[in-house]
Amino acid sequence: MIQVWLRNFLFFRKTFLVTLFWTTLEPLMYLAAIGFGLGRFVEQIEGLSFIEFYYPGLLASTAMMVSYFESTYPNYTKLTYQKTYLTMLLTPLNPNQILFGEILWAATKGFIGVCGVILISLLFGLFKAEVYLVLPVLFLLCLIFAAFGMIVTSLAKNYDSFIFSTSGLIIPMSLISGTYFSIADMPIFIRSIAQIFPLTHAVSLTRTILYRQVSLMSLVDIGILIVYFVVFALIAKKLFSRKLIQ
Amino acid sequence: MTNAVVAKDLAKDFDGIPAVKNISFEIKSGECFGILGPNGAGKSTTMKMIYGHVVPTKGELFVLGLNAKTDIKRIKAKIGIVPQEDGLDVDFNSLENLQIFASYYGVPREIALARAEHLLSEMRLSEFKFRHVEALSGGMKRRLAIARSLIHQPDLLVLDEPTTGLDPQARLWIWNYFEGLKAQKKTMILTTHYMEEAERLCDRVAMVDHGVMLDCDSPAELVKKHIGAEVVEITSGTETSYWKSKLTGLNISYQDHENKLFAFFADSQSRQHFVAQLQNVHYVTRLANLNDVFLKLAGYNMRGEA
Repeated sequence: MIQVWLRNFLFFRKTFLVTLFWTTLEPLMYLAAIGFGLGRFVEQIEGLSFIEFYYPGLLASTAMMVSYFESTYPNYTKLTYQKTYLTMLLTPLNPNQILFGEILWAATKGFIGVCGVILISLLFGLFKAEVYLVLPVLFLLCLIFAAFGMIVTSLAKNYDSFIFSTSGLIIPMSLISGTYFSIADMPIFIRSIAQIFPLTHAVSLTRTILYRQVSLMSLVDIGILIVYFVVFALIAKKLFSRKLIQ
Repeated sequence: MTNAVVAKDLAKDFDGIPAVKNISFEIKSGECFGILGPNGAGKSTTMKMIYGHVVPTKGELFVLGLNAKTDIKRIKAKIGIVPQEDGLDVDFNSLENLQIFASYYGVPREIALARAEHLLSEMRLSEFKFRHVEALSGGMKRRLAIARSLIHQPDLLVLDEPTTGLDPQARLWIWNYFEGLKAQKKTMILTTHYMEEAERLCDRVAMVDHGVMLDCDSPAELVKKHIGAEVVEITSGTETSYWKSKLTGLNISYQDHENKLFAFFADSQSRQHFVAQLQNVHYVTRLANLNDVFLKLAGYNMRGEA
Protein backbone atom coordinates (compact mmCIF):
# COMPACT_ATOMS: atom_id res chain seq x y z
CA MET A 1 0.00 0.00 0.00
CA ILE A 2 2.72 2.42 1.00
CA GLN A 3 4.67 1.64 -2.21
CA VAL A 4 1.69 2.85 -4.25
CA TRP A 5 1.47 6.00 -2.16
CA LEU A 6 5.20 6.52 -2.59
CA ARG A 7 5.01 6.13 -6.35
CA ASN A 8 2.47 8.93 -6.48
CA PHE A 9 4.50 11.03 -4.10
CA LEU A 10 7.55 10.69 -6.37
CA PHE A 11 5.49 11.90 -9.30
CA PHE A 12 4.04 14.70 -7.17
CA ARG A 13 7.57 15.87 -6.35
CA LYS A 14 8.21 16.40 -10.05
CA THR A 15 5.21 18.67 -10.37
CA PHE A 16 5.68 20.42 -7.08
CA LEU A 17 5.53 23.94 -8.48
CA VAL A 18 2.16 23.34 -10.08
CA THR A 19 0.83 22.15 -6.73
CA LEU A 20 2.23 25.11 -4.87
CA PHE A 21 0.49 27.33 -7.40
CA TRP A 22 -3.01 25.97 -7.03
CA THR A 23 -2.88 25.17 -3.34
CA THR A 24 -2.21 28.79 -2.48
CA LEU A 25 -3.66 30.76 -5.34
CA GLU A 26 -7.10 29.16 -5.37
CA PRO A 27 -7.95 29.73 -1.70
CA LEU A 28 -6.55 33.25 -2.03
CA MET A 29 -8.98 33.97 -4.84
CA TYR A 30 -11.94 32.29 -3.15
CA LEU A 31 -11.41 33.96 0.20
CA ALA A 32 -10.86 37.33 -1.47
CA ALA A 33 -13.71 37.16 -3.98
CA ILE A 34 -16.36 35.30 -2.03
CA GLY A 35 -15.36 35.67 1.60
CA PHE A 36 -14.21 39.26 1.44
CA GLY A 37 -15.87 40.61 -1.72
CA LEU A 38 -19.29 39.01 -1.48
CA GLY A 39 -19.12 38.95 2.32
CA ARG A 40 -19.20 42.77 2.45
CA PHE A 41 -22.88 42.62 1.50
CA VAL A 42 -23.75 40.14 4.25
CA GLU A 43 -24.06 41.47 7.78
CA GLN A 44 -23.99 38.29 9.81
CA ILE A 45 -24.70 34.66 9.21
CA GLU A 46 -25.34 32.22 12.07
CA GLY A 47 -23.76 34.84 14.33
CA LEU A 48 -20.53 35.00 12.33
CA SER A 49 -19.11 37.41 9.79
CA PHE A 50 -19.52 36.01 6.28
CA ILE A 51 -15.82 35.25 5.76
CA GLU A 52 -15.69 33.45 9.11
CA PHE A 53 -18.77 31.49 8.14
CA TYR A 54 -17.37 30.66 4.71
CA TYR A 55 -13.87 29.63 5.88
CA PRO A 56 -14.90 26.18 7.30
CA GLY A 57 -16.96 25.63 4.14
CA LEU A 58 -13.93 26.34 1.99
CA LEU A 59 -11.76 24.01 4.09
CA ALA A 60 -14.22 21.16 3.73
CA SER A 61 -15.09 21.68 0.08
CA THR A 62 -11.38 21.90 -0.80
CA ALA A 63 -10.79 18.59 0.97
CA MET A 64 -13.65 17.04 -0.98
CA MET A 65 -12.86 18.49 -4.40
CA VAL A 66 -9.12 17.85 -4.45
CA SER A 67 -9.44 14.28 -3.19
CA TYR A 68 -12.28 13.48 -5.54
CA PHE A 69 -10.54 14.84 -8.63
CA GLU A 70 -7.24 13.22 -7.67
CA SER A 71 -8.84 9.80 -7.44
CA THR A 72 -10.91 10.05 -10.62
CA TYR A 73 -9.27 11.40 -13.79
CA PRO A 74 -5.62 10.48 -13.12
CA ASN A 75 -6.56 7.09 -11.69
CA TYR A 76 -8.83 6.28 -14.59
CA THR A 77 -5.86 6.98 -16.84
CA LYS A 78 -3.72 4.62 -14.74
CA LEU A 79 -6.44 1.99 -14.88
CA THR A 80 -6.93 2.18 -18.66
CA TYR A 81 -4.46 3.98 -20.92
CA GLN A 82 -1.33 3.80 -18.82
CA LYS A 83 -2.01 0.29 -17.49
CA THR A 84 -0.19 1.31 -14.31
CA TYR A 85 -2.34 -0.93 -12.13
CA LEU A 86 -1.91 -3.97 -14.36
CA THR A 87 1.84 -3.48 -14.16
CA MET A 88 1.65 -3.17 -10.38
CA LEU A 89 -0.30 -6.42 -10.36
CA LEU A 90 2.65 -8.22 -11.93
CA THR A 91 4.30 -7.83 -8.54
CA PRO A 92 3.13 -9.22 -5.19
CA LEU A 93 0.90 -6.15 -4.77
CA ASN A 94 -2.78 -7.11 -4.80
CA PRO A 95 -5.78 -5.00 -5.89
CA ASN A 96 -6.61 -4.00 -2.31
CA GLN A 97 -3.12 -2.71 -1.64
CA ILE A 98 -3.28 -0.70 -4.85
CA LEU A 99 -6.75 0.63 -3.99
CA PHE A 100 -5.90 1.72 -0.47
CA GLY A 101 -2.56 3.16 -1.61
CA GLU A 102 -4.46 5.29 -4.10
CA ILE A 103 -7.13 6.31 -1.57
CA LEU A 104 -4.44 7.28 0.90
CA TRP A 105 -2.63 9.26 -1.78
CA ALA A 106 -5.71 11.11 -3.04
CA ALA A 107 -6.56 11.95 0.56
CA THR A 108 -3.00 13.18 1.10
CA LYS A 109 -3.35 15.46 -1.90
CA GLY A 110 -6.66 16.76 -0.55
CA PHE A 111 -4.98 17.36 2.76
CA ILE A 112 -2.24 19.35 1.06
CA GLY A 113 -5.02 21.49 -0.42
CA VAL A 114 -6.48 21.97 3.06
CA CYS A 115 -3.08 23.08 4.34
CA GLY A 116 -2.94 25.63 1.52
CA VAL A 117 -6.28 27.07 2.61
CA ILE A 118 -5.10 27.31 6.21
CA LEU A 119 -1.90 29.02 5.11
CA ILE A 120 -3.80 31.61 3.10
CA SER A 121 -6.36 32.09 5.88
CA LEU A 122 -3.55 33.68 7.89
CA LEU A 123 -3.62 36.61 5.48
CA PHE A 124 -7.28 37.17 6.28
CA GLY A 125 -6.83 36.95 10.03
CA LEU A 126 -8.83 33.76 10.19
CA PHE A 127 -6.28 31.62 11.98
CA LYS A 128 -7.46 29.93 15.17
CA ALA A 129 -5.60 27.41 17.30
CA GLU A 130 -8.60 25.06 17.08
CA VAL A 131 -7.71 24.47 13.44
CA TYR A 132 -5.43 21.62 14.60
CA LEU A 133 -8.47 19.78 15.91
CA VAL A 134 -10.17 20.23 12.58
CA LEU A 135 -7.35 18.56 10.63
CA PRO A 136 -8.29 14.93 11.50
CA VAL A 137 -11.91 15.63 10.53
CA LEU A 138 -10.84 17.09 7.20
CA PHE A 139 -8.50 14.18 6.55
CA LEU A 140 -11.39 11.79 7.16
CA LEU A 141 -13.41 13.82 4.66
CA CYS A 142 -10.52 13.50 2.18
CA LEU A 143 -10.56 9.72 2.66
CA ILE A 144 -14.31 9.59 2.04
CA PHE A 145 -14.10 11.37 -1.30
CA ALA A 146 -10.94 9.55 -2.33
CA ALA A 147 -12.84 6.29 -1.81
CA PHE A 148 -15.88 7.70 -3.60
CA GLY A 149 -13.63 8.71 -6.50
CA MET A 150 -12.29 5.16 -6.73
CA ILE A 151 -15.85 3.82 -6.94
CA VAL A 152 -16.59 6.14 -9.85
CA THR A 153 -13.25 5.28 -11.47
CA SER A 154 -14.03 1.56 -11.24
CA LEU A 155 -17.46 2.09 -12.81
CA ALA A 156 -16.44 4.61 -15.49
CA LYS A 157 -16.77 3.64 -19.15
CA ASN A 158 -14.82 6.69 -20.35
CA TYR A 159 -13.83 10.16 -19.16
CA ASP A 160 -17.34 11.49 -19.78
CA SER A 161 -18.67 9.16 -17.08
CA PHE A 162 -17.19 11.47 -14.46
CA ILE A 163 -19.54 14.25 -15.57
CA PHE A 164 -22.41 12.39 -13.89
CA SER A 165 -20.75 12.21 -10.51
CA THR A 166 -19.18 15.66 -10.74
CA SER A 167 -22.20 17.65 -11.92
CA GLY A 168 -24.76 15.34 -10.34
CA LEU A 169 -23.25 15.00 -6.89
CA ILE A 170 -20.02 16.83 -6.16
CA ILE A 171 -21.02 20.30 -7.38
CA PRO A 172 -24.52 20.33 -5.78
CA MET A 173 -22.97 19.00 -2.60
CA SER A 174 -20.39 21.77 -2.56
CA LEU A 175 -23.22 24.33 -2.89
CA ILE A 176 -25.88 23.16 -0.44
CA SER A 177 -23.92 21.64 2.41
CA GLY A 178 -23.83 24.86 4.39
CA THR A 179 -20.67 25.99 2.64
CA TYR A 180 -21.72 29.34 1.12
CA PHE A 181 -24.96 29.90 3.00
CA SER A 182 -26.71 28.64 6.10
CA ILE A 183 -29.05 25.73 5.52
CA ALA A 184 -30.84 26.30 8.82
CA ASP A 185 -33.47 28.57 7.21
CA MET A 186 -33.87 26.51 4.06
CA PRO A 187 -37.09 24.62 3.23
CA ILE A 188 -37.30 21.21 4.84
CA PHE A 189 -36.79 19.57 1.46
CA ILE A 190 -33.35 21.14 0.95
CA ARG A 191 -32.43 20.58 4.58
CA SER A 192 -33.23 16.87 4.36
CA ILE A 193 -31.16 16.44 1.23
CA ALA A 194 -28.30 18.34 2.81
CA GLN A 195 -28.39 16.04 5.83
CA ILE A 196 -27.70 13.07 3.56
CA PHE A 197 -24.49 14.65 2.22
CA PRO A 198 -21.32 13.81 4.11
CA LEU A 199 -20.01 17.29 3.29
CA THR A 200 -22.80 18.87 5.39
CA HIS A 201 -21.64 16.97 8.45
CA ALA A 202 -18.00 17.80 7.81
CA VAL A 203 -18.77 21.51 7.36
CA SER A 204 -20.92 21.69 10.45
CA LEU A 205 -18.33 19.80 12.49
CA THR A 206 -15.54 22.07 11.26
CA ARG A 207 -17.57 25.19 12.01
CA THR A 208 -18.47 23.90 15.46
CA ILE A 209 -14.89 23.04 16.35
CA LEU A 210 -13.64 26.42 15.17
CA TYR A 211 -16.26 28.72 16.65
CA ARG A 212 -18.60 26.86 18.98
CA GLN A 213 -18.90 24.31 21.73
CA VAL A 214 -18.45 20.69 20.72
CA SER A 215 -21.60 18.75 21.60
CA LEU A 216 -23.13 15.32 21.27
CA MET A 217 -24.22 16.34 17.78
CA SER A 218 -20.54 16.56 16.86
CA LEU A 219 -20.10 12.89 17.74
CA VAL A 220 -23.03 12.05 15.48
CA ASP A 221 -21.35 13.99 12.67
CA ILE A 222 -18.09 12.06 13.19
CA GLY A 223 -20.00 8.78 13.31
CA ILE A 224 -21.75 9.54 10.02
CA LEU A 225 -18.45 10.45 8.36
CA ILE A 226 -16.81 7.22 9.55
CA VAL A 227 -19.74 5.17 8.27
CA TYR A 228 -19.50 6.93 4.91
CA PHE A 229 -15.82 6.09 4.63
CA VAL A 230 -16.26 2.43 5.58
CA VAL A 231 -19.16 1.95 3.18
CA PHE A 232 -17.41 3.71 0.28
CA ALA A 233 -14.19 1.80 0.93
CA LEU A 234 -16.01 -1.55 0.91
CA ILE A 235 -17.83 -0.76 -2.32
CA ALA A 236 -14.63 0.51 -3.95
CA LYS A 237 -12.82 -2.66 -2.83
CA LYS A 238 -15.36 -4.88 -4.51
CA LEU A 239 -15.59 -2.90 -7.75
CA PHE A 240 -11.87 -2.25 -8.13
CA SER A 241 -10.85 -5.92 -7.69
CA ARG A 242 -13.43 -6.97 -10.22
CA LYS A 243 -12.02 -4.47 -12.68
CA LEU A 244 -8.46 -5.76 -12.35
CA ILE A 245 -8.69 -9.54 -12.05
CA GLN A 246 -10.80 -11.55 -14.46
CA MET B 1 14.76 -32.32 -12.66
CA THR B 2 11.86 -30.69 -10.84
CA ASN B 3 8.93 -29.01 -12.52
CA ALA B 4 8.67 -25.22 -12.56
CA VAL B 5 5.06 -25.20 -13.73
CA VAL B 6 2.45 -27.93 -13.63
CA ALA B 7 -0.96 -27.32 -15.22
CA LYS B 8 -3.69 -29.93 -15.00
CA ASP B 9 -6.91 -29.58 -17.03
CA LEU B 10 -6.66 -25.82 -16.89
CA ALA B 11 -9.71 -24.03 -18.29
CA LYS B 12 -10.95 -20.45 -18.45
CA ASP B 13 -14.29 -19.08 -19.62
CA PHE B 14 -14.96 -15.38 -20.15
CA ASP B 15 -18.69 -14.85 -19.57
CA GLY B 16 -19.38 -18.39 -20.73
CA ILE B 17 -17.12 -18.18 -23.78
CA PRO B 18 -14.24 -20.61 -23.38
CA ALA B 19 -10.76 -19.17 -23.99
CA VAL B 20 -8.80 -22.14 -22.67
CA LYS B 21 -10.24 -25.65 -22.54
CA ASN B 22 -8.54 -28.29 -20.41
CA ILE B 23 -4.89 -27.61 -21.10
CA SER B 24 -2.34 -29.74 -19.28
CA PHE B 25 1.42 -29.35 -19.40
CA GLU B 26 4.55 -29.51 -17.32
CA ILE B 27 7.49 -27.15 -17.59
CA LYS B 28 10.78 -28.39 -16.21
CA SER B 29 13.17 -26.21 -14.26
CA GLY B 30 15.85 -24.75 -16.49
CA GLU B 31 13.81 -25.28 -19.60
CA CYS B 32 12.63 -22.74 -22.16
CA PHE B 33 9.04 -23.63 -22.94
CA GLY B 34 7.20 -22.07 -25.87
CA ILE B 35 3.47 -21.65 -26.33
CA LEU B 36 2.59 -21.12 -29.98
CA GLY B 37 -0.76 -20.45 -31.53
CA PRO B 38 -2.66 -18.02 -33.73
CA ASN B 39 -4.36 -14.93 -32.33
CA GLY B 40 -7.13 -15.86 -29.93
CA ALA B 41 -5.76 -19.36 -29.41
CA GLY B 42 -5.54 -18.94 -25.64
CA LYS B 43 -1.81 -18.28 -25.30
CA SER B 44 -2.09 -15.04 -23.37
CA THR B 45 -4.93 -16.33 -21.20
CA THR B 46 -2.73 -19.28 -20.23
CA MET B 47 0.13 -16.89 -19.43
CA LYS B 48 -2.15 -14.61 -17.42
CA MET B 49 -3.31 -17.56 -15.35
CA ILE B 50 0.33 -18.28 -14.50
CA TYR B 51 0.85 -14.72 -13.25
CA GLY B 52 -2.55 -14.29 -11.66
CA HIS B 53 -4.22 -11.64 -13.84
CA VAL B 54 -6.75 -14.27 -14.82
CA VAL B 55 -8.23 -16.73 -12.34
CA PRO B 56 -8.80 -20.21 -13.87
CA THR B 57 -12.41 -21.36 -14.10
CA LYS B 58 -11.24 -24.87 -13.32
CA GLY B 59 -8.19 -27.05 -13.17
CA GLU B 60 -5.02 -27.09 -11.11
CA LEU B 61 -2.02 -24.85 -11.53
CA PHE B 62 1.23 -25.05 -9.63
CA VAL B 63 4.00 -22.55 -10.21
CA LEU B 64 7.39 -23.14 -8.57
CA GLY B 65 5.73 -25.65 -6.27
CA LEU B 66 3.07 -23.17 -5.11
CA ASN B 67 -0.65 -23.43 -5.77
CA ALA B 68 -1.81 -20.54 -7.97
CA LYS B 69 -5.21 -20.60 -6.28
CA THR B 70 -3.92 -19.89 -2.80
CA ASP B 71 -0.37 -18.61 -3.13
CA ILE B 72 -0.43 -16.17 -6.03
CA LYS B 73 1.29 -13.48 -3.96
CA ARG B 74 4.28 -15.71 -3.24
CA ILE B 75 4.33 -16.91 -6.84
CA LYS B 76 4.44 -13.35 -8.13
CA ALA B 77 7.36 -12.58 -5.84
CA LYS B 78 9.35 -15.33 -7.60
CA ILE B 79 8.47 -14.79 -11.24
CA GLY B 80 9.46 -12.05 -13.66
CA ILE B 81 6.95 -11.05 -16.29
CA VAL B 82 7.26 -9.26 -19.61
CA PRO B 83 3.63 -8.61 -20.59
CA GLN B 84 2.47 -8.08 -24.16
CA GLU B 85 2.04 -4.37 -23.59
CA ASP B 86 5.18 -3.09 -21.90
CA GLY B 87 3.12 -1.28 -19.27
CA LEU B 88 5.99 1.07 -18.45
CA ASP B 89 5.12 3.88 -16.07
CA VAL B 90 5.00 6.89 -18.41
CA ASP B 91 5.17 9.34 -15.52
CA PHE B 92 8.82 8.40 -14.94
CA ASN B 93 12.18 7.94 -16.65
CA SER B 94 13.89 4.59 -17.33
CA LEU B 95 15.87 4.39 -14.11
CA GLU B 96 12.90 5.46 -11.98
CA ASN B 97 10.74 2.83 -13.67
CA LEU B 98 13.11 0.11 -12.46
CA GLN B 99 13.48 1.62 -8.98
CA ILE B 100 9.74 2.05 -8.45
CA PHE B 101 9.03 -1.44 -9.73
CA ALA B 102 11.67 -2.85 -7.36
CA SER B 103 9.91 -1.05 -4.49
CA TYR B 104 6.71 -2.98 -5.28
CA TYR B 105 8.71 -6.16 -4.62
CA GLY B 106 10.13 -4.70 -1.45
CA VAL B 107 13.71 -4.70 -2.77
CA PRO B 108 15.74 -2.36 -0.50
CA ARG B 109 16.52 0.98 -2.10
CA GLU B 110 20.33 0.68 -2.44
CA ILE B 111 20.13 -2.85 -3.81
CA ALA B 112 17.44 -1.76 -6.24
CA LEU B 113 19.58 1.11 -7.49
CA ALA B 114 22.62 -1.14 -7.99
CA ARG B 115 20.57 -3.76 -9.82
CA ALA B 116 18.82 -1.15 -11.93
CA GLU B 117 22.12 0.39 -13.04
CA HIS B 118 23.51 -3.05 -13.81
CA LEU B 119 20.46 -4.13 -15.82
CA LEU B 120 20.35 -0.84 -17.71
CA SER B 121 23.96 -1.31 -18.79
CA GLU B 122 23.30 -4.94 -19.69
CA MET B 123 20.34 -3.81 -21.82
CA ARG B 124 22.46 -1.03 -23.39
CA LEU B 125 20.16 1.56 -21.89
CA SER B 126 22.59 3.33 -19.55
CA GLU B 127 22.80 6.46 -21.64
CA PHE B 128 19.00 6.69 -21.69
CA LYS B 129 18.48 6.16 -17.99
CA PHE B 130 17.19 9.69 -17.42
CA ARG B 131 15.10 9.66 -20.54
CA HIS B 132 11.35 9.72 -20.14
CA VAL B 133 10.02 6.30 -21.19
CA GLU B 134 7.66 7.77 -23.77
CA ALA B 135 10.68 9.12 -25.64
CA LEU B 136 12.23 5.63 -25.97
CA SER B 137 11.98 3.61 -29.19
CA GLY B 138 9.93 0.41 -29.32
CA GLY B 139 13.04 -1.74 -28.97
CA MET B 140 14.32 0.28 -26.03
CA LYS B 141 10.95 0.10 -24.27
CA ARG B 142 10.93 -3.65 -24.64
CA ARG B 143 14.49 -3.93 -23.32
CA LEU B 144 13.45 -1.80 -20.36
CA ALA B 145 10.46 -4.10 -19.76
CA ILE B 146 12.85 -7.08 -19.81
CA ALA B 147 15.17 -5.31 -17.37
CA ARG B 148 12.14 -4.62 -15.17
CA SER B 149 11.17 -8.29 -15.16
CA LEU B 150 14.64 -9.18 -13.80
CA ILE B 151 14.89 -6.53 -11.06
CA HIS B 152 13.85 -8.92 -8.26
CA GLN B 153 15.99 -11.81 -9.58
CA PRO B 154 13.12 -14.16 -10.38
CA ASP B 155 13.38 -17.95 -10.65
CA LEU B 156 11.06 -18.08 -13.64
CA LEU B 157 10.59 -15.68 -16.56
CA VAL B 158 7.22 -15.32 -18.26
CA LEU B 159 7.57 -13.68 -21.68
CA ASP B 160 4.36 -12.85 -23.52
CA GLU B 161 5.28 -12.12 -27.16
CA PRO B 162 8.54 -10.44 -26.17
CA THR B 163 9.61 -9.48 -29.70
CA THR B 164 6.29 -8.65 -31.38
CA GLY B 165 6.46 -5.36 -33.23
CA LEU B 166 10.24 -5.01 -33.04
CA ASP B 167 12.62 -4.52 -35.95
CA PRO B 168 14.90 -7.46 -36.96
CA GLN B 169 17.95 -5.98 -35.25
CA ALA B 170 16.17 -5.47 -31.95
CA ARG B 171 14.71 -8.96 -32.19
CA LEU B 172 18.09 -10.50 -32.85
CA TRP B 173 19.59 -8.67 -29.90
CA ILE B 174 16.82 -9.87 -27.58
CA TRP B 175 17.18 -13.44 -28.83
CA ASN B 176 20.87 -13.33 -28.03
CA TYR B 177 20.10 -12.02 -24.59
CA PHE B 178 17.59 -14.78 -23.91
CA GLU B 179 20.10 -17.35 -25.13
CA GLY B 180 22.44 -15.98 -22.50
CA LEU B 181 19.75 -16.46 -19.83
CA LYS B 182 19.16 -19.98 -21.15
CA ALA B 183 22.84 -20.73 -20.72
CA GLN B 184 22.42 -19.69 -17.07
CA LYS B 185 19.64 -22.29 -16.83
CA LYS B 186 16.95 -19.71 -16.21
CA THR B 187 13.49 -21.23 -16.63
CA MET B 188 11.49 -19.36 -19.29
CA ILE B 189 7.98 -19.53 -20.68
CA LEU B 190 7.51 -17.77 -23.97
CA THR B 191 4.62 -17.10 -26.30
CA THR B 192 5.34 -15.99 -29.83
CA HIS B 193 4.04 -15.75 -33.36
CA TYR B 194 7.53 -16.19 -34.75
CA MET B 195 8.40 -19.78 -35.49
CA GLU B 196 12.02 -18.82 -35.93
CA GLU B 197 12.01 -17.47 -32.39
CA ALA B 198 10.52 -20.68 -31.03
CA GLU B 199 12.93 -22.87 -33.00
CA ARG B 200 15.87 -20.88 -31.81
CA LEU B 201 15.00 -20.49 -28.13
CA CYS B 202 12.60 -23.19 -27.03
CA ASP B 203 13.55 -26.63 -25.76
CA ARG B 204 9.93 -27.66 -26.03
CA VAL B 205 6.95 -26.10 -27.71
CA ALA B 206 3.22 -26.43 -27.10
CA MET B 207 1.04 -25.80 -30.12
CA VAL B 208 -2.24 -24.30 -28.99
CA ASP B 209 -5.38 -23.45 -30.93
CA HIS B 210 -9.00 -22.74 -29.93
CA GLY B 211 -7.99 -23.19 -26.31
CA VAL B 212 -6.76 -26.74 -26.84
CA MET B 213 -3.22 -28.09 -26.94
CA LEU B 214 -2.63 -29.73 -30.31
CA ASP B 215 0.82 -31.13 -29.57
CA CYS B 216 3.79 -30.57 -27.32
CA ASP B 217 7.37 -31.59 -28.03
CA SER B 218 10.80 -30.26 -29.01
CA PRO B 219 10.75 -28.18 -32.22
CA ALA B 220 12.88 -30.77 -34.08
CA GLU B 221 10.66 -33.63 -32.98
CA LEU B 222 7.50 -31.74 -33.97
CA VAL B 223 8.89 -31.06 -37.43
CA LYS B 224 9.96 -34.69 -37.83
CA LYS B 225 6.66 -36.04 -36.56
CA HIS B 226 4.26 -33.83 -38.53
CA ILE B 227 6.19 -32.84 -41.63
CA GLY B 228 9.36 -34.87 -42.12
CA ALA B 229 12.65 -33.47 -43.36
CA GLU B 230 11.98 -31.58 -46.56
CA VAL B 231 9.18 -29.69 -48.25
CA VAL B 232 8.47 -29.11 -51.93
CA GLU B 233 6.24 -26.10 -52.60
CA ILE B 234 4.45 -26.56 -55.89
CA THR B 235 2.72 -23.62 -57.51
CA SER B 236 -0.07 -25.73 -58.95
CA GLY B 237 -2.33 -22.92 -60.20
CA THR B 238 -5.31 -24.25 -62.15
CA GLU B 239 -3.95 -27.82 -62.10
CA THR B 240 -4.32 -28.25 -58.37
CA SER B 241 -6.65 -31.23 -58.57
CA TYR B 242 -4.27 -33.01 -60.95
CA TRP B 243 -1.35 -32.54 -58.57
CA LYS B 244 -3.44 -33.53 -55.60
CA SER B 245 -4.41 -36.86 -57.16
CA LYS B 246 -0.82 -37.42 -58.24
CA LEU B 247 0.48 -36.85 -54.71
CA THR B 248 -2.23 -39.05 -53.25
CA GLY B 249 -1.35 -41.73 -55.79
CA LEU B 250 2.32 -41.56 -54.77
CA ASN B 251 1.29 -41.74 -51.13
CA ILE B 252 2.93 -38.40 -50.32
CA SER B 253 1.35 -36.28 -47.59
CA TYR B 254 0.64 -32.66 -48.48
CA GLN B 255 -1.25 -29.52 -47.54
CA ASP B 256 -2.88 -27.16 -49.98
CA HIS B 257 -3.40 -23.45 -49.65
CA GLU B 258 -4.72 -21.11 -52.37
CA ASN B 259 -2.91 -22.23 -55.52
CA LYS B 260 0.01 -23.84 -53.77
CA LEU B 261 0.68 -27.39 -52.62
CA PHE B 262 3.12 -28.25 -49.87
CA ALA B 263 4.40 -31.80 -50.22
CA PHE B 264 6.20 -33.30 -47.24
CA PHE B 265 9.10 -35.77 -47.40
CA ALA B 266 10.68 -37.82 -44.65
CA ASP B 267 14.16 -37.66 -46.23
CA SER B 268 16.00 -36.09 -49.14
CA GLN B 269 16.11 -39.30 -51.27
CA SER B 270 12.33 -39.49 -51.46
CA ARG B 271 12.22 -35.78 -52.19
CA GLN B 272 14.80 -36.12 -54.99
CA HIS B 273 12.91 -39.03 -56.40
CA PHE B 274 9.73 -36.95 -56.52
CA VAL B 275 11.31 -33.79 -57.89
CA ALA B 276 12.84 -35.77 -60.76
CA GLN B 277 9.31 -36.40 -62.02
CA LEU B 278 8.29 -32.74 -61.97
CA GLN B 279 7.92 -31.03 -65.33
CA ASN B 280 6.36 -27.78 -66.49
CA VAL B 281 5.56 -26.61 -63.00
CA HIS B 282 7.15 -24.02 -60.74
CA TYR B 283 8.40 -25.49 -57.49
CA VAL B 284 10.71 -24.70 -54.59
CA THR B 285 12.52 -27.19 -52.39
CA ARG B 286 13.42 -26.38 -48.81
CA LEU B 287 13.94 -27.87 -45.37
CA ALA B 288 10.88 -28.45 -43.24
CA ASN B 289 10.44 -26.05 -40.32
CA LEU B 290 8.19 -25.27 -37.40
CA ASN B 291 6.14 -22.94 -39.54
CA ASP B 292 4.96 -25.95 -41.59
CA VAL B 293 3.93 -27.72 -38.40
CA PHE B 294 2.13 -24.64 -37.18
CA LEU B 295 0.18 -24.14 -40.38
CA LYS B 296 -0.61 -27.84 -40.67
CA LEU B 297 -1.94 -28.03 -37.12
CA ALA B 298 -3.65 -24.65 -36.89
CA GLY B 299 -4.76 -24.36 -40.51
CA TYR B 300 -4.10 -21.63 -43.02
CA ASN B 301 -7.10 -19.43 -42.38
CA MET B 302 -6.61 -15.95 -40.97
CA ARG B 303 -8.02 -15.27 -37.55
CA GLY B 304 -10.35 -12.38 -36.96
CA GLU B 305 -10.06 -11.82 -33.25
CA ALA B 306 -6.86 -10.59 -31.67
